[in-house]
Amino acid sequence: MKRIATTTIAAAGALVAAASAGHAEPLKIGIIESLSGSQTSTGRLYATAVEYGVDKINEAGGFNGEPVQVTEYDNAGGAPEAADKFRQAVADGVDIIFQGASSAIAGQLTEDVRKHNIRNPGKEVMFINLGGEAMELTGEKCQFYHFRFTTTAPMRVNALVNAMKEAGDLGTKAYAINQNYSWGQDVQAAVEAAAGEGGYEVVDEVLHDVNKIQDFAPFVARIKAAAPDTVFTGNWSNDLLLLMKAAGDAGLDVTFATAFLDQPGNIANAGKTALGHYIANNYDNAASESDAFPQAYKQATGHVPIFVEGHSAFALAQLQQALGTLDLGGGDIDVTKIALALEDTTYETPVGPVTVRKEDHQTIRPVVVSKVVENAKYPADDTDMGFETVKIVPAEEAIYPVQESCDMQRPEE
Amino acid sequence: MEFAIISTLNGVTYGLLLFMVSAGLTLIFGMMGVLNFAHASFYMLGAYVAYAVSSIFGFWIGLIVAPIVVGLIGMAVERFLLPRVHAHGHAHELLLTFGLALIIEELIKLFFGDFPVNYQMPADLRFSAFSVFGSNYPFYRLFIGGVAVVMFAVLWLLLTRTRTGIVVRAAERLPAMAEALGHNIPMVFMFVFGTGAALAGLGGAVAGAFYPTNPNMGIELGVIVFVVVVVGGLGSLKGSLLASLLIGLFSSFAVGLDWSLAGLFGLFGLGDWARSLGGLMTLELSSVSATIPFALMLIVLLVRPAGLMGEPN
Repeated sequence: MKRIATTTIAAAGALVAAASAGHAEPLKIGIIESLSGSQTSTGRLYATAVEYGVDKINEAGGFNGEPVQVTEYDNAGGAPEAADKFRQAVADGVDIIFQGASSAIAGQLTEDVRKHNIRNPGKEVMFINLGGEAMELTGEKCQFYHFRFTTTAPMRVNALVNAMKEAGDLGTKAYAINQNYSWGQDVQAAVEAAAGEGGYEVVDEVLHDVNKIQDFAPFVARIKAAAPDTVFTGNWSNDLLLLMKAAGDAGLDVTFATAFLDQPGNIANAGKTALGHYIANNYDNAASESDAFPQAYKQATGHVPIFVEGHSAFALAQLQQALGTLDLGGGDIDVTKIALALEDTTYETPVGPVTVRKEDHQTIRPVVVSKVVENAKYPADDTDMGFETVKIVPAEEAIYPVQESCDMQRPEE
Repeated sequence: MEFAIISTLNGVTYGLLLFMVSAGLTLIFGMMGVLNFAHASFYMLGAYVAYAVSSIFGFWIGLIVAPIVVGLIGMAVERFLLPRVHAHGHAHELLLTFGLALIIEELIKLFFGDFPVNYQMPADLRFSAFSVFGSNYPFYRLFIGGVAVVMFAVLWLLLTRTRTGIVVRAAERLPAMAEALGHNIPMVFMFVFGTGAALAGLGGAVAGAFYPTNPNMGIELGVIVFVVVVVGGLGSLKGSLLASLLIGLFSSFAVGLDWSLAGLFGLFGLGDWARSLGGLMTLELSSVSATIPFALMLIVLLVRPAGLMGEPN
């Protein structure tokens, strides 16, 4: 009896060994994104860009001798659902999580990842944040396994101030209208902080509920009363579109300095009202002489990269570069090694290099400032309008100091 | 003064838009006792149908076709879906219409995409009606308000001054008796539901060209429309009008007012102390303007549970 048991164990052991020799552990990527509900439009774009990037990795031979696997999880636009889908992803053996739409969800995920990694040493999960721009994600909540591959409020506002001042469109009186949550408050604080540098006075500022307001006419009346030259707003989705439409209808003569004007549908809906307004973002197709990337993206997905797709695809390309420096020899996936490799990677995007700042895992990246013009090279929303690059603020000028609240625990090496 | 006039204008026109959408909801509830969760989805459908039709046949045709199409869809819902769950009570009707709202939203995304569509008012309506204190007042806002006023007048006259109105009210009050007198009650209910849906569709067709037409417009407006109906009193058309205007005006005035609790304490010389506390004390009224309708609903429910003009049940 004892002999039989020993033989069985030996046979089983041999089988396991044979299996691991034939099939290395594949790298698993999970996209936990808003794929239904009100933020579907943005969530879908993030997912498309991540899948494009994964296809590129697999075309180049995958990682660890296996194709990289990618799974979509729908968080339905809410943090509780995202936490639920995170547990499911962990159960599925996901190694790297991607998410972009909403800072609130990013905040939930980064905490979930942190706690998971404390409880499961050796089975770490990494979170690549493509769009959560709240300062706290690299501040109070900063941690080793979270990487932010997008800008933050001060990066966008400083770039806008810098480029608009050079172009002579800034004026001396600024107004800040923002959504009343972490991101909007960050933008408002950044507008106040940049006043000295930009040589303007903040004549008035207002915070309002997030995507609940149907009628912006009263806000436009209030802006009108303050008579600003430039209106800074971090608003997105309906809050931006309704604000611009109301301003256009009231004949308000100001320049809008925005962060999300390139969200699909905005330019078409705002119409001629949109002309002359500014945006600062991570990437715009018109910012680069070469159209190699937009064309390659169009060939794969059917459209040139819009809104958040460009910088999200670059994040995957940077990950691909980091993976290229690693050789796990067909063994287990070690997420800590991938994270360390990503820290040391510099990726050349069409608008400049992107590096990871080791202290808080914020990426140091260029910011593109554009304005809406007619007859653009890459028309938006089937109109003849689109974005024209005003200035590319280089990475080292755009970056802000590490927040004091960031206390990152690095893994022992 | 300038602030008061502009805020009143904005508040009244926004209130009238709210009324346009909530009228159908309160009509359906008042007549049939069905709380239609999909009502705001009919509003969205109206905007999308008008967009699809107007891109081929022009804006005005779209404005006429949209309420008809949405009204027919509403009738189909009343005829084929609601009777199946009617026997199980109001909760099941509510759940059915809730499911319908989700399905309509996802169908819209399937056919028209996730992004706002480019539904615009015609160029000859895009002008400013007049100028108040150097600020142009768009004519289209007055147009929305005008449509709402006409709608209220027609509905009111129809229900109180015509034979049809008498039959409809009889069907609501004593369905069995009205049926015994030879009136086709199921047919009456189907038309009431269809009319309610058509009103929402018209609202969507008119407002969709001014506000963006996107897959979220139903849910965004839906919540506030429910507030209007509850504040006004379920089933009361006049109550809805009053509540719509109140909410429109409150939201509009709140935006311009930097009032906070700290300011109130300031009147008694405690301003600095209150400001040092921060938090709720320094929260400005303007930053919670979209929350005001809900606060109003809470107060009305506490003081007058039947709503401003609702009949105590």
